[in-house]
Amino acid sequence: MHIPDGYLSPATCVVGYAIMIPFWATAVKKVKAALNTKLIPLMVIGAAFSFVLMMFNVPIPGGTTAHAVGAGILAVLLGPWAATICVSIALAIQALLFGDGGIFSFGFNCFNMALVIPFVSFFIYQWFAGKSDVMSNKRWIWGAIGSYIGINLAATCVGIELGLQPVLFHTAQGVPLYSPFPISVSVPAMLLAHLLMAGPVEAIVTGGVTRYFQLTNPSVISDQIAARLAPAKAAFNKLWYVIIALIVLVPLGLLAPGGAFGEGEISDIKQVFGFVPAGLASLRDHYSGLLQDYGIPGYGGANPDLWHQTVGYYLAAVVGIVIIAGITFLITRLIAAREAKKSST
Amino acid sequence: MVDYQIPEWLLKSQGPLPPSKSTKKTRRSFVEKTIDAFSGFLMDDFYSERIASANGLMQGLHPGIKVITTLLLIFVAVSLRSWELLLLFNLWILMLAYMSAVPLSTFLKRVWLVVPIFTGIIVLPTLFNVIRPGDPLLVLLHFSGQHRLGPWVLPGELTITSQGVRGAVIFILRVGACVSLSVLLTLTTRWAYLLRGFSMIRIPTLFINILEMTYRYIYVLLQSASDMFQARMSRTVGRTGTGEQQRFVGNAMGALWSKAFILSDEVHAAMLSRGYTGTPRTLKNAKIRGLDWFWIAFALLVTIILLGGDRLVS
Repeated sequence: MHIPDGYLSPATCVVGYAIMIPFWATAVKKVKAALNTKLIPLMVIGAAFSFVLMMFNVPIPGGTTAHAVGAGILAVLLGPWAATICVSIALAIQALLFGDGGIFSFGFNCFNMALVIPFVSFFIYQWFAGKSDVMSNKRWIWGAIGSYIGINLAATCVGIELGLQPVLFHTAQGVPLYSPFPISVSVPAMLLAHLLMAGPVEAIVTGGVTRYFQLTNPSVISDQIAARLAPAKAAFNKLWYVIIALIVLVPLGLLAPGGAFGEGEISDIKQVFGFVPAGLASLRDHYSGLLQDYGIPGYGGANPDLWHQTVGYYLAAVVGIVIIAGITFLITRLIAAREAKKSST
Repeated sequence: MVDYQIPEWLLKSQGPLPPSKSTKKTRRSFVEKTIDAFSGFLMDDFYSERIASANGLMQGLHPGIKVITTLLLIFVAVSLRSWELLLLFNLWILMLAYMSAVPLSTFLKRVWLVVPIFTGIIVLPTLFNVIRPGDPLLVLLHFSGQHRLGPWVLPGELTITSQGVRGAVIFILRVGACVSLSVLLTLTTRWAYLLRGFSMIRIPTLFINILEMTYRYIYVLLQSASDMFQARMSRTVGRTGTGEQQRFVGNAMGALWSKAFILSDEVHAAMLSRGYTGTPRTLKNAKIRGLDWFWIAFALLVTIILLGGDRLVS
């Protein structure tokens, strides 16, 4: 899931950092408020733990092994904000020491692995098992399910980030400059690998470690730390405004570097329709859907101009954000509603 | 006194074990793989530390300047569109590596063995007209007419397209250049100096402190985890099922977290007892010398030449 440099265009990388900086700042603020001087030692150990966790080989059926990200279990142990910091630091060390994941793409790598996974898995765990007894089976089961969904949403995000590249950045001849596959290919490819392999591994790790603490030291997961570091609703809502503002502003940023954007006369899909009409048209009809169903003008047209591409960008970005925002937002609302119901009775 | 009966097989002296007959390597267990991963980390890290303390071009530069110019050059790599210039750029980076006392075999192994394999597999399908249509460069197969395969219709022939090859070459060269640059930066800079370099690009001290300390505690936790896996390996005689193995990994991670958590309390107490108030303090940065300015100017020149050339070519 680590995106190396060169797969994403520089403009996309800027967006990744722009999304992550407010989240990092908020995470530090929240964790510091909860921990005070203990911030550094706990985050340091959490990050080192996260780094070592990524090196564990988890056995999977069939005799092979795979690595876990471990962001889900950190969210269960420390809450999502602290998990964001710990996993980001672990990813930074991986990128800087071993070149696992690029320096430019670090923003998006953190978005996918240090933000989407912990928050999604934490909210699912919290909503379904947060109020249950510490020893309840619900805890480890929903921890596992949350991580499974979290890592698959993260994989979807990776697919979207990579899939936007050929649409937005290609030469005048239609040769893609960065990651070459459109969303219709990259998202299913990422999802397939994660639904079958990385997802179960992440679920095993979160479920297994949660179960271990239930049996040996339940106080670790009885929400002592996690509750204090859980997101306050108001601050969280504000962050979504930041993201929405960014989506609106990003195409302006894309225009600035110039180059490919304006001169793109032939989009990939137009090229597809142009050269092999019957065969690939049906392939696209069958497999893409994502962009075409949203009816982006100009994608199949003769001369997609800047305006159409911008519209295409917006829609694609909105699709990506809606998937993540929708689910996290919904769960936040659900929790809020349940809290309100609880306090009124 | 109890009369001990020593079983006969224990009294027999045993000769050396016969060499294993099968030359086929047995598949290693997850325990061994994990121990290997741990020791691999240490090996890589010690190795790069050795290169970083060698006497070479990149080692002599100010860490902050090195970080800034590396970012600039990665930007160049990401922006270039012509394969000729990308190839030239890659050769120049190889030269830099050579001048920085990085053994070329190491460098080539880390970059040019890994990148073409991983990135190559990813872009491989785009070479063919079945996936991405384009002008034929090399016809591989002639089909008799068009074939229908469910919703797919195969075109009359299977070809490698010139657009596909161009795109793949540019992509692999670009990823290679990016990976080369970051490998070069990290191989030639010691971790502590690298972090000081990062403080120059306005990364908050808090993050730098955390990075600095995390690096140290990775060693502590790795040692703990490695001990656990060694203990497990030395006690495993038979075969274990996947379920049990997974439980072991879960338990090992949990135990590691318990140890880590206690450790964080100890570290915290140690920090407080040494007067830590919540504001981290660091040593002063290294001095920027004349050579560094020269290097910045040179990197800028390379950037202008390459990006300008790219405009002309494409």
